[in-house]
Amino acid sequence: MSEHTVVGQTVARVDAVEKVTGAAQYGADVHPPGMLYGKIVRSKHAHANILGIDTTEAEKLPGVKAIITQDDVPSGRRVFATDKVLYLGEPLAAVAATDPDVAEEAAELIKIDYEVLPVVQDVMEAIQPSAPRLHGDDTKDGPNRREIATQIRRLSRDKENDHSNEISKLESELDNYPDEVYYNISAESHSEAGDVEKGFAESDVVVEDTYVIPRVHQTYMEPHVSVASADSSGKITVWASTQGPFAIRSGIAGTLGIPLTQINVIGTTMGGGFGGRFGVIITHVPAVLLSQKTGRPVRVQMTREEEFTDGRPAPGCVIKLKTGATKDGHILARQALAFWDSGSVSGASIGSTIRVRGVYKIPNLKVDAYGVHTNKSGTAAYRAPGAPQAIFAGESQLDEIAERIGMDPVEFRLMNMREEGDPVPAGASEPKVGYKETLQAVADAAGWWDREAGENQGWGVAVGDWTNGCGPGGVYVSVHEDGSVRIFHGSMDITGTDTAISQIIAEILTVPYESVTIRRGDTDSAPYSTGSGGSVVTFTMGNTAKLAAEDAHQRVLELASERLNMNVDNLELRDGAVHVVSADPPKSISLGELAAYSLSTTGGPIVGKGSFARQPSTPALAAQIAKVEVDPGTGRTRVLKLVASQDVGFAINPMAVEGQIEGGTVQGYAWAMMEEMQYGDDGNINPGFVDYRVPTSADLPTVESVIVEVPAPNGPYGAKGVGEPPITPTLATMANAVKDAIGVRITELPIKPERVVDALKSNGH
Amino acid sequence: MAKHHVNLKVNGDEHDLLIEPRKTLLAVLRDTVGLTGTKEGCSTGDCGACTVIVDGKAVTSCMVLAVTASGKEITTIEGLASDGELHPVQQAFINTGGYQCGFCTPGFIMASKALIDENPDRSEEEFRHALGGNICRCTGYTKILEAVLKAAEEVSATA
Repeated sequence: MSEHTVVGQTVARVDAVEKVTGAAQYGADVHPPGMLYGKIVRSKHAHANILGIDTTEAEKLPGVKAIITQDDVPSGRRVFATDKVLYLGEPLAAVAATDPDVAEEAAELIKIDYEVLPVVQDVMEAIQPSAPRLHGDDTKDGPNRREIATQIRRLSRDKENDHSNEISKLESELDNYPDEVYYNISAESHSEAGDVEKGFAESDVVVEDTYVIPRVHQTYMEPHVSVASADSSGKITVWASTQGPFAIRSGIAGTLGIPLTQINVIGTTMGGGFGGRFGVIITHVPAVLLSQKTGRPVRVQMTREEEFTDGRPAPGCVIKLKTGATKDGHILARQALAFWDSGSVSGASIGSTIRVRGVYKIPNLKVDAYGVHTNKSGTAAYRAPGAPQAIFAGESQLDEIAERIGMDPVEFRLMNMREEGDPVPAGASEPKVGYKETLQAVADAAGWWDREAGENQGWGVAVGDWTNGCGPGGVYVSVHEDGSVRIFHGSMDITGTDTAISQIIAEILTVPYESVTIRRGDTDSAPYSTGSGGSVVTFTMGNTAKLAAEDAHQRVLELASERLNMNVDNLELRDGAVHVVSADPPKSISLGELAAYSLSTTGGPIVGKGSFARQPSTPALAAQIAKVEVDPGTGRTRVLKLVASQDVGFAINPMAVEGQIEGGTVQGYAWAMMEEMQYGDDGNINPGFVDYRVPTSADLPTVESVIVEVPAPNGPYGAKGVGEPPITPTLATMANAVKDAIGVRITELPIKPERVVDALKSNGH
Repeated sequence: MAKHHVNLKVNGDEHDLLIEPRKTLLAVLRDTVGLTGTKEGCSTGDCGACTVIVDGKAVTSCMVLAVTASGKEITTIEGLASDGELHPVQQAFINTGGYQCGFCTPGFIMASKALIDENPDRSEEEFRHALGGNICRCTGYTKILEAVLKAAEEVSATA
């Protein structure tokens, strides 16, 4: 039996009724009086010089109130493209009109004169010298050239000795790597532990493969939207569907060069984010500029098509991976060279390439990663950014090794998993995490140990790890005369976090969950709060809430001590009242009575404050098993069983945790099997749900979720972030199941029917 | 653009409106009538977020021109609860955790209600296929199906 009464229980979410009645206010539901409709004018080419923008015809259209271009950005910070566009859909101007259809018509009437340039969409083509160059100084050395160049630089710096012979020898060695000058590079990341060459030499089995993962869209159901209203004093109010209002406030202030205090951001209910709704994105600044120009509120809302052409999706990548192991199953070395498709700007999560390490003891590891420019929109976070891609490569290749040495994939993983106290990079040692418990749990729940497979059926397993982030947050708690508890904070709810915060506070103040209400403030009123993402909220805001409730708890005991004339040590708070310990007859005073009493005390009302920024957090593990059946004729894969376990530390609201596991797993499934943003010389060619298929209920069976609880030392009640881990292993889980079913390893996602048929054919089927 | 006279009966209330023929039912419900519970997710009839019930049938309101809905009985998510009592489908979505961000939820609830009204005695597989026109990105559908089956069972028992 749990020692807790509210945390650890499934309760209806705080926003339950408003979400099922249509009352919840999302970004596009905000409609201040006199509001105009904004529309962004976008490039019709993927790469072109802009020779001119003519707004004359559009201005004549009745109902058009403003048209802005980069000339209307007083700070000069880039909001719209001017002389060159780098992708289809890049913003060039924006229109505000009295009606959304008029705004759209006006946008079409704006004449853009283009000089079309050659386009590059494939990362492996973009790094070649023959590729069109998107930006100026963007040439980098590959890993081998880089090492040699570093040695040359080091020797050249030593002026006291003559190294000219060594240097000329090294310089001629550079000629061995003529293909290792990469072009269109936006960023690079390198790390190394041990000696991979030695590790491979000592290995009995070495496997090398190239994995190709497509760019996919977060596909939150609510397209990006912002409403802005600039008043005559210069004060700007922005309603935004966002994961982080405070970052929007600072982003707008920075872009427009105005003080923070001049901007108030109101976070609306959010129609999904998954990492794609962070910071200032696409719609916010144009809405503000249009409102400043017209003196009226303006809403800028993207269509689904605009989401696909000018969203900030998850980057695709190409990962060349090599792994070596002994024949008795010990992994000795792993090396990765990755090229991430960053699009027209830098920002792809290339650092996540290190996740090829997984949760295994790998003594020798080398990772080289590059971000590559192509003619696409930029990228952003998507649920455990970068991890699903890297883990797809890592976990696919583990199965290939297991097969070659004749070990069961689950046993092979269990044998190589890190344990508490094992060394990890950056000097620390491995904390206690339920790696083995979680894998064992999914294997048991799925029936792995006595699994059976019919013809063309197969089983796949994979694990994925992620570490929740943390960030600053503040919470106030007040207790009212009727014994009810109010919470005030500034963090956005992502699918249940307000509920978890409420549960924690109810637990500490020993009141029923129903007597707690939670209010979110805007950036003018609420204490600073980090963005809701990176599996941050439960960890950060949970800890913050705990501190606030404990502070209020302290004040409650002080008041009771005064009122009952008893020492605090003889008092305890339980069941919503302060009781005198072992009093006979029992003596107590309720929270409501204490709140009423507090109003006439010197110390004043019961207000608890919690403020928190960081504590080390522990990794989380997701482990999944799928059973599939592949039709070798059509190439279609049907999922027969999908089981997902996760070490969540402690499930504050088990039903909400299951929901995160199920949802994340299905997003991973979709990336493995269905989704890919496709590009041609004209840019994105599948900007809608007919051509970019996301799963519906008809595509999948029930996902079985298994909660594993190995408490995290610094988490509230041992909880850790649960949102991101479940997407991380599914890509490999599916590929491994398909391999088991048809005997062919598919290394390029998605595993769509035509790809399966081609793979079978090229393997002589 | 010339406007047309349209009479919309929404959740029992009559609205006499002058609207442009290019306006969709979704746009009129949201921008003119002011009922924003119905959501716009794709504007191409592919995601189901804008599902409302017109004369007993679930339709994607982004695919219906408002002028063609004149005189018809329209029910939106706002019209589902009666006398402060949630409809069994709404209650089931709460009880099973069948929603997360909630953006697709009005559409799912309306589509489910229409299906259950038509025939509550369907298998999980049948509901899975019948709801294939509604996209949810958060839940992975497991808890949505639980909600719909529970609501169907309840409606079936009280019918």
